[in-house]
Amino acid sequence: MAVVSAFLVPGSPLPYVKRDNPPWGKIATGLERAGAALVQSKPDAILLYSTQWIAVLDQLWQTRPRVSGLHVDENWHEYGELPYKLRIDTRLAKACVAATGTLGVKSKAVNYDGFPIDTGTIVAANFLNPGGKIPMVLASNNLYHDFALTEKLGRLAARLASKQKKRVAVVGVGNFSGAFFRHEIDIAKDKIAAPKYDRWNKKILALLQAGDGKGLSAALPEFAAKGQADMGFKHGAWVLGALGRKFTGAQVHAYGPLYGSGGAVVEFVL
Amino acid sequence: MPRTQKKGAIVAGFLAPHPPHLVYGENPPQNEPRSQCGWEQLRWAYERARKSLDALKPDVLLVHSPHWITQQGHHFLGVPKLSGKSVDPIFPNIFRYTFELNVDVALAEACCAEGAKQGLYTKMMRNPNFRVDYGTITTLHMMRPQWDIPVIGLSANNSPYYLSTEEGLEEMDRLGRATRTAIEKLGRRAVLLASNTLCHWHFHEEPALPEDMSQEHPQSLSGYQWDMRMIDLLRQGNTKEVFHLLPQFIDEAFAEVKSGAFTWMFAALGYPEIPAELHGYGTVIGTGNAVMEWNLERARLSKPASKTRASRRAIRQAA
Repeated sequence: MAVVSAFLVPGSPLPYVKRDNPPWGKIATGLERAGAALVQSKPDAILLYSTQWIAVLDQLWQTRPRVSGLHVDENWHEYGELPYKLRIDTRLAKACVAATGTLGVKSKAVNYDGFPIDTGTIVAANFLNPGGKIPMVLASNNLYHDFALTEKLGRLAARLASKQKKRVAVVGVGNFSGAFFRHEIDIAKDKIAAPKYDRWNKKILALLQAGDGKGLSAALPEFAAKGQADMGFKHGAWVLGALGRKFTGAQVHAYGPLYGSGGAVVEFVL
Repeated sequence: MPRTQKKGAIVAGFLAPHPPHLVYGENPPQNEPRSQCGWEQLRWAYERARKSLDALKPDVLLVHSPHWITQQGHHFLGVPKLSGKSVDPIFPNIFRYTFELNVDVALAEACCAEGAKQGLYTKMMRNPNFRVDYGTITTLHMMRPQWDIPVIGLSANNSPYYLSTEEGLEEMDRLGRATRTAIEKLGRRAVLLASNTLCHWHFHEEPALPEDMSQEHPQSLSGYQWDMRMIDLLRQGNTKEVFHLLPQFIDEAFAEVKSGAFTWMFAALGYPEIPAELHGYGTVIGTGNAVMEWNLERARLSKPASKTRASRRAIRQAA
């Protein structure tokens, strides 16, 4: 089996740039736990999909061998910079670019100095793969792809990793409920934007923990609509696709608010 | 320091869309990729707009860009000098631009404060490592490639998408009015740039050669027809009808004006009922782009709003 570990993590910069705020510090600790579990699974590569890397024309894949820089989040610039240093598994990424035609998807390789790496990818990489030691495959979120197509892309990436005889960790970066506060709040008292979103997040987390694939499949469309799932929960589709929907449960390392949206750090039990 | 006058005024507003293809087609030294040609009608439209801007001699250019998206509040660039390399995340093959710009921080702070007085959540962006978005850079380059006029960049708060179009655009209206008040108070001679495409239906694949103009045409007939209808109304100066139709236009043509720049600019200009000058129209990967100008100075409307209203009141009372 190519996939040796799988995770869902939030892409907000807040746990990274402002972990001294207790609600966000809890998420940061959960992310560190997930990072330790990922390292322990000894993957050859990480397959990461971030809802914040937006594409509209083709499916984009990062293929620059080394990517580093300093990013400032478009919204949370006052909390400082996000440094990053990533290694890319170019062989596997290029195999993904070449293979998506079988799904009717045109892919493009991205290999440009100064290409803007999105906040979600950086935050996930810094917590789960500090120093960029493990090579990564970075996939974009094409806004015109739906849940089903994203699931197929995840499955394809895992299959290609298997073909290259690689052990991979799969990571989906995005929030659970995407509803957020629009105005200034007391950040120490941050909470999920509304109780109904909290209920939805907990329902999905419980299904994941129980390894209830059937229940999850039934609940996800409604979660996307009524729970205002971040980007239709396509980061979840990526992971479920890579796993072939096969998992026995999940461990929730952290769950809490990120300026109103639902942030959860989930490790799948395979 | 910008030149100042007793009381500031907005002397003109431009609809100045930001497809990076236009910079690519022009081949300026700041942009790494080289093209053979492309999108000449739009680039020549910008040449005419540049001449007009040059004649206006503004102290400051204000640009509202849909590609600096903020969820919490309306943000303003607030660092005196910003520089770096801007690579378009969607079209990295054609836009890798080295920029350097000066910000009129005092005016940005005033806009921020006036916005807050209007009940908006506003924020200054003070991080010197901030990467300016490609929409802001493309619009500014196309309008003023010399980069010799201080600028203010405003973010696009995602309220029209997160709330409803109407609620979001109401915020942009308040932001526009706040912008005008700040300009008047600080005595700036200002030009506003709304960095928006009209119909935003686009192709989903790029031609192998991006500048292959044999592949360039409107993505949809209905989108094109909507663009022509709106442009015609704007050319007539029928601003009221344009804003009456705006929500329907946004829905049916997937118009990028939803992101707020167009409404922000018109609110700041005081919704003038003057004929717009169309410098040119063209498509970029199928989207509709118009370069248009509302020259208040030429229309003798560039007096401060309060003064204009006061004068009108006096005339009515006298009558």
